[in-house]
Amino acid sequence: MRPGPGSTLMTYLLLAGMAALFIAPLLMMFLGSLKADHRVLLESGSLTAFLPRELSLQNYSDVFRRSEFPRFFFNSLFITSCIVVCGLVVNSLAAYAFARLQWRGRDLLFNLVLALMILPFEAIAVPLFYGASILGLRDTYAVQILPFIANAFAIYLFYSFFIGMPRELEEAARIDGASTLRIFFSIIAPNAKPVFASVAILTFLTWWGSYLWPTMVTIGPTVRPLPVAIASFYTLPPLQWGDILAFGVMMVAPVVLLFVIFQRWFVAGVASSALKG
Amino acid sequence: MRYRIHISKLLSVGLILITLTSGCGKGTDSTADLTLLSVWAHAGQESERSVLQQQVARFNQAHPDIEVQLTLIPEGSYNAQIQAAAVAGELPDLIELDGPFLSAYAWQGHLQPLDDLLDPGLVADLLPSIIAQGSYADRLWAVGVFDSGLGLYADRAKLNQAKLRIPTLQQPWSLQEFETALGQLAMKDPDGRVLDLKLNYAGEWYTYGLSPLLQSAGGDLIERDQLRSADGVLNGAESRAILTRLQNWITGRLIDPNIDDAAFTGRRVPLALGGHWNYRQYRASLGDDLLLLPMPDLGTGSKTGMGSWCWAITTTAANPRVAAGFIAFLLTTEEVLAMANANGAVPAIRSAIDASPRYRAGGPLHLFYQQLDKGHGVPRPRTPAYPIITAEFQGIVDRIRSGSDVAAALDSAVNKIDREIAANRGYPLPGEQQP
Amino acid sequence: MSRRRRLNDQTAPALLLAMPALLGLLLFILLPFATALVLAFTDLRLGSPLAVNLVGLDQFLYLFNDPDFMRALLNNLLFAAVAVPLQTLLALALALLLNRGLPGTLAFRTLFFMPVVFPMSLVAVIWSLIYAPGPNGMMNAFLQWASFGLWEAKDFLRDPLLAMPAIMLLSIWQGVGFQMVILLAGLQGIPQTLYEAAALDGAGRWRQLLHITLPQLRNPLIFVILVTTILAFRLFDQVQIMTRGGPENATTTVIYETVQAAFARQQVALASAMTVVFFLLVLAITLLQRRFTHHQREVA
Repeated sequence: MRPGPGSTLMTYLLLAGMAALFIAPLLMMFLGSLKADHRVLLESGSLTAFLPRELSLQNYSDVFRRSEFPRFFFNSLFITSCIVVCGLVVNSLAAYAFARLQWRGRDLLFNLVLALMILPFEAIAVPLFYGASILGLRDTYAVQILPFIANAFAIYLFYSFFIGMPRELEEAARIDGASTLRIFFSIIAPNAKPVFASVAILTFLTWWGSYLWPTMVTIGPTVRPLPVAIASFYTLPPLQWGDILAFGVMMVAPVVLLFVIFQRWFVAGVASSALKG
Repeated sequence: MRYRIHISKLLSVGLILITLTSGCGKGTDSTADLTLLSVWAHAGQESERSVLQQQVARFNQAHPDIEVQLTLIPEGSYNAQIQAAAVAGELPDLIELDGPFLSAYAWQGHLQPLDDLLDPGLVADLLPSIIAQGSYADRLWAVGVFDSGLGLYADRAKLNQAKLRIPTLQQPWSLQEFETALGQLAMKDPDGRVLDLKLNYAGEWYTYGLSPLLQSAGGDLIERDQLRSADGVLNGAESRAILTRLQNWITGRLIDPNIDDAAFTGRRVPLALGGHWNYRQYRASLGDDLLLLPMPDLGTGSKTGMGSWCWAITTTAANPRVAAGFIAFLLTTEEVLAMANANGAVPAIRSAIDASPRYRAGGPLHLFYQQLDKGHGVPRPRTPAYPIITAEFQGIVDRIRSGSDVAAALDSAVNKIDREIAANRGYPLPGEQQP
Repeated sequence: MSRRRRLNDQTAPALLLAMPALLGLLLFILLPFATALVLAFTDLRLGSPLAVNLVGLDQFLYLFNDPDFMRALLNNLLFAAVAVPLQTLLALALALLLNRGLPGTLAFRTLFFMPVVFPMSLVAVIWSLIYAPGPNGMMNAFLQWASFGLWEAKDFLRDPLLAMPAIMLLSIWQGVGFQMVILLAGLQGIPQTLYEAAALDGAGRWRQLLHITLPQLRNPLIFVILVTTILAFRLFDQVQIMTRGGPENATTTVIYETVQAAFARQQVALASAMTVVFFLLVLAITLLQRRFTHHQREVA
């Protein structure tokens, strides 16, 4: 299905048109973050929004003065890393047990795990919030991390990968008398890097931007993560768009950078989520 | 092999971090003879925030044995946050509350009454509106260091042009005069929109700014004596009539939607319902043409809004006297003025009024003080049902704006409010609770 | 004999390996969900000094007579009915364009996927600026330009008719890249030989799309539709930050109402009942999708 020259031009035109719509908000955010606060809204209605004139880093230093940005950034990074790292270990081990070991009750439990996949977090937020409240666990890191480590979908993704690995891989080691844990770490895991990467990226994307739960369980700025921080910075008077956009740029820049570098993995990770079904 | 180290390292690091931090993030209980006083306040305007921070610093300086620890919480989720913390028993010693939400906390038993904790002389110096909004079930639970002012800002030049009488608190505009004024002004106005009701504010503003119109017309949000039902009051004839009028003003294109928040400063409208917080900007735009008028008398006298943020001591406070000491410090003339200068609000004590160039007799905002002092201010209903009342009233205003049927909107709101009160068995006080 | 021993041997290590995850799922998903199921039949209020009662189906009856909650349900359905087809079509169109393998494809894919790594709360804040009222707002200015000056500046987020479409638009902008990538992977899995055979039979571009591409993409498409539909019912962040459910409930959603009930009004029991309704909706959508996917497997 080779496209002709006319359709190639058409394709590019369509792509370019869409690209303009996608890039406009991003560009406005970036350039706006470098403009004086009062100019941001004033210029957003004309092409001057996209003109790099009289730029300065003032807004960025304002963000550090008006908010505890480094703390928020650390909080987000710490919370998300803990969920990702602990989740990889806990969920892959469980998936390994389900996929490669013979044991009583396995199928029943695995079906239960599959059933839990359809429960979105929103369906348990209220009782979880109630529990966190009466136990006095609000405003901690733990309450933002622990509930999200074990994840049925991650177990399922690992399971789907492990079940397809050839049995011979571990047979030899088993005959040598290696322990189950050792087999997992030295043979299974090293051969399953793609699924670890996929799960890591999907988990990261899910919780890095998580907003609902932390708005309910964080109070002051101590353990507040970025998504909540940007929302409260936005409502912190006076409304200064330059500062807000600078906050936004600093908040996504590292992730955008990671994404551009590891794009292949991001795309593979997202595509693998469609396994479900 | 390398992978193994990798993953187990990650695991152990993760687990260690979690155990280390799961307990952190809570205030660290400190040592020795230093009395800690934890305080939560809402993160308001920048000037307000910094004054409060300076006040805390001054207090700590003056009291080496006490340390006030201030946490600022975003305004958007402030109420929900304290409610949730209250349930968890995590309230600090001293909290700032938005006035009308006070009853709910008091009813739930999270607050200590202030009657015996504050010096009677200090209480006597407070504006009557501060006492009114801070009271629930015959006790004083909270006091503010400032109150709010609500009135009609006007463009003197346009009023003179239309040959309108300048009303006073003794002789405010009647309903008929008010409507005539709107009509006269509209005739000389390019777009005919002559009144700004700050419809762009939405939220609590609707209840604060517009329910006084209801009360002035003889209606109200709820029956005030028993506070058990809104039926026949919020959907009564008086309320329905005045809200229908309001709807007519809106659909008749007399109200500027104020989308850009510049209807009055841009001199598009000669009249604007507004509060003390508008004064600085309005004065800058209109100069000597700026007038502050009392609210019109729509039948039962000129009524205005009142109430703002106030301080309350929680039942978790181990040292209520120390907490009361901090409140008393905030209520010294000097500190009251420092805050009132920062946010422009009405100082809560009479001695500070006399020292305030804006609010003392002859000052440009003296009217705000008079309204509060002479009882024109109507406290928003002091019942634990207030959150639902205000939510429903905001819904009513929204529906009125879009031209929906007023009576239906009122009936539906009354229904919801009454159900909520019934579901809470009328909020019995601890003594009268049935088993 | 030895085989049996080996089977038995694995039960202990298997349970050990699966335990942390199973414990987590039990404590943080199953238990809370069961709690919600129970609470939905009580009148529990956080912080109320009154005693808790069992009230049967009262909370559900209340919900289905509550105009706010019914409006929220309607809004979610509306969002799903409009945003899901639009977003899926757009994702499909983008995937088809990118699948041509023209030079520069990678750059376009990067750009279209970029918003996916943006937290929704940030997207909501940026788009609040784009939707700024008055002629200076970017969206107003753009529409004015595109309509040759006919467009009158609107306050999108405070206009009962425009607020929901405004939220739909930014949600599509943020999420379409995710779906696009999945569909693109699906497209790349279609064997080229199918197209070659069809071309030999003289099938044109449209017929190839209808008879080869779409049937081959069936499962990824159903998956994408499922995920987007469930997302439509989970709608919250944008609403909370941009409109708080307003104006006039035009943008309120089931989850927004749930959070309002639980968090702002402490009506934990009522919120639990909403949670149950929400869960039943998601369950219904999922079962529907399973059915469709299953059919296809039988046919294949």
